[in-house]
Amino acid sequence: MKRQALAAACAAVLFGLAAVGAARYGPLGIAGAQQQVSLATMSEDSGQWVMPSKDYAATRHSSLNQITTENVGNMHAAWSMSTGATRGHEGQPLVIGDTMYFESAYPNNVFAVALADYHIKWQYTPKEDPFAVSVACCDLVNRGVAYGDGKIIVNALDGQVIALDMHTGRPVWHAKNADPERGQTVTAAPLVVKNRVLVGVSGGEFGVRGYLTAFDLGTGRQVWRAYSEGPDSDTLIPAGFPGPHNAGVSTWHGDQWKVGGGTTWGWYSYDPQLDLVYYGTGNPGTWNPTQRPGDNKWSMTIFARRPENGMAVWARQMTPHDEWDFDGVNEMILVDIDMNGQKIPSLVHFDRNGFAYEVDRRNGKLLLAHKFDPSVNWASSIDMASGRPIVNPAMMTKAGVNVHGICPAAMGSKDQQPASYDPQTGYFIVPTNHNCMDYQAFSVKYKGGFPFVGATVKMYAGPGGNRGAVIAWDPVQGKIVWSDPERFPAWSGVLTTDGGVAFYGTMDGWFKAIDTKSGKLLWKYHVPSGIIGNPITYMHDGKQYVAVFSGVGGWAGIGLAAGLTEPTAGLGAVNAASDLKNYTTLGGDLTVFSL
Amino acid sequence: MHRRLTRIRAALLGALCALALAAPLPGGAAGGGALRVCADPNYLPYSTRDGRGFENKVAEAMGRALGVPVRYTWASMRGPGGFDGFLRQTLRAGLCDVVVDVPYASINLSVTRPYYISSYVFVFPRAKHYDITSMDSPELQNLRIGFEADTPAEMGLKLRALITHADPYEIGDEDGASPAEILDAVTSGKIAVAVTWEPSIGYFLRNRPNLEVVPVPNSRSQGSPEQYVFPMAMATRPDDAALRAKLDQAIAQHKSELQAILQAFGVRLYQPASA
Repeated sequence: MKRQALAAACAAVLFGLAAVGAARYGPLGIAGAQQQVSLATMSEDSGQWVMPSKDYAATRHSSLNQITTENVGNMHAAWSMSTGATRGHEGQPLVIGDTMYFESAYPNNVFAVALADYHIKWQYTPKEDPFAVSVACCDLVNRGVAYGDGKIIVNALDGQVIALDMHTGRPVWHAKNADPERGQTVTAAPLVVKNRVLVGVSGGEFGVRGYLTAFDLGTGRQVWRAYSEGPDSDTLIPAGFPGPHNAGVSTWHGDQWKVGGGTTWGWYSYDPQLDLVYYGTGNPGTWNPTQRPGDNKWSMTIFARRPENGMAVWARQMTPHDEWDFDGVNEMILVDIDMNGQKIPSLVHFDRNGFAYEVDRRNGKLLLAHKFDPSVNWASSIDMASGRPIVNPAMMTKAGVNVHGICPAAMGSKDQQPASYDPQTGYFIVPTNHNCMDYQAFSVKYKGGFPFVGATVKMYAGPGGNRGAVIAWDPVQGKIVWSDPERFPAWSGVLTTDGGVAFYGTMDGWFKAIDTKSGKLLWKYHVPSGIIGNPITYMHDGKQYVAVFSGVGGWAGIGLAAGLTEPTAGLGAVNAASDLKNYTTLGGDLTVFSL
Repeated sequence: MHRRLTRIRAALLGALCALALAAPLPGGAAGGGALRVCADPNYLPYSTRDGRGFENKVAEAMGRALGVPVRYTWASMRGPGGFDGFLRQTLRAGLCDVVVDVPYASINLSVTRPYYISSYVFVFPRAKHYDITSMDSPELQNLRIGFEADTPAEMGLKLRALITHADPYEIGDEDGASPAEILDAVTSGKIAVAVTWEPSIGYFLRNRPNLEVVPVPNSRSQGSPEQYVFPMAMATRPDDAALRAKLDQAIAQHKSELQAILQAFGVRLYQPASA
């Protein structure tokens, strides 16, 4: 995202707000008024961290440069704090003015902490429907709060959306975006765009039909809801849409679209100039692919929608008829890229299916789609004309067939852990997974006393023996520049800075600073638990700080607990849970570093 | 290394002895003149150390048919390693030769011909008169359902989004748990209807005459096959074709005796839909 574009965008945002007359300054006074006027402008101030992905373009890049490749070796822990929760901490704090705001994993404790003396200004824990715990698929994670109009917007696991007064922590409004009794939960962070709060839903394993909902920032009233499947009236696909109509029904067998999955539990980004919101949808409902013939639209899809009314402007499905659980929800990073001497407003998306998609974000046109892990073998390439993967028939999963060595495994070459774009090098720094799987489909099995028909997935380290890596991606060449292998999946987000330093954490509990140019390790520190959260940076009293959650868990943690096996599986399963236990244990903490 | 070699040698020796002994004794069994059965010592209605389960009775019937006594190797099917752990400690370790009750077509097991067919069933209070005949019965939409976890019941409930008002039971994973627990939950009203494997609860139904039992039919209503009816067989080691042949012969000759045993334990026998 370029500065001119943002500046132009601010006008659009201002206009949008004026149009709805939502000048609700609240008790925040002038500062609040400024925030109200333009979140986009606020996000340009790298002293603060005002939205989950740093800016609307989701770059997770900060222009702060006090901490450099030269001096990061002197970085030390400045302060730390328990979140009071033990499950997986996938989110990140916000910093607004002199206060830090953050939310823990379930039970979703929310804190406002004074940066001057670390006292807790207020604390809030929603009363939740405990049933949500039993239907949460992949640990009880949360990916953070959002800010807008003097409010801290909190998503709770049980589907509540709560706007808290940023000064008092008192609820201003309550909304509901999911019903655990129907298998729906919420783990994603909201995004505030103009006077809308965008909230997604989780629960693809439970027959949930996915949707993205927009609530009014002022009142919490639901403004629109765009389903991932169903007729155009449900998917909010208008007459001029450049793609098939009612494909949300016609690419399904019978009524299967009603439990069609396509949940929206990842990250959302926004281009103020084009006035388009971008996000991805998850795996189609019913994990067994033979039970849902067809392309299963619009699962596994990048959507571009109008924030005002949710109407789709374009959509691009990445993995039609998914057989591998390659959810398309990973972050959409909005960057202008030089392609053949032309600067193209692009969307860059590192998908779970192992391909990096670079798309013209104005119209969804595919610019480039290359593997970002050479071991990817379920498809040889992406057909540039149709956008469809050229699937390797040997890696298709089907009833009664055991398929070995599918790469990547179900958790993908990358899951929700967000990458960062560094404008100085022009690289994306991408945290990746490097697992493959054996898929034994629909064989008859027995557990003591009960016969069943099961599909089992065994995951193990990919070629080289490492289960993850952090890579630098050159979007112009569509190539890996450097790669730092990691023992476990690199399940934390990445932060890049103008100091030339990139930060990320590992599941075995190391917080690392590397040289963005070369990937060279410059500094590391062992935190209380494994890191699956996303580092941020901010200024306080003229000093740069870097903050990150520790608190291992998430799907990778659960996958490990379920017992990954080594490539030499014939010798018997190695208990990978004890493997992780040799390095870390559960527990949510925030640790903040400075020079 | 030495110890390992010794152990492999011992296993080989054991296998050779078994073959040597089995070959010249038509109608006899492997394992030095006994039918060596791997079983759970504490899992009614399947088997107990003092021989009260239907698998005990089936094993005894097979022993009689082969003219040899039954000798047991005991291990829990519901310990930390589950059924695979049970196999590792018993059949695969060469400590016994047959597991008398496993699904026909089990992956990684060498099985005999099936000797009975049973089914997953719905169980609910007779007085409720629920109209439930398949997973697609509309009445299930409004009822609290209990089901055995990690079974076709769970898959079927998930496919239809019924899982969100359903409670998992893990009788098959918890050493010491009784399959009667899910029936008690129906009787107490904790759940309205249970979906479980009939042979696990048939034995306990005799004291619960007020419960209705309806088989869950195999289905293609959601697309591809859902299997609720399973033929059951006996498992041997893959290399023990000799014993498999004898068991197959004994099963063919004593089919009605085996079925009488099963029925005495409340195991309802179902016909295959096709096959």
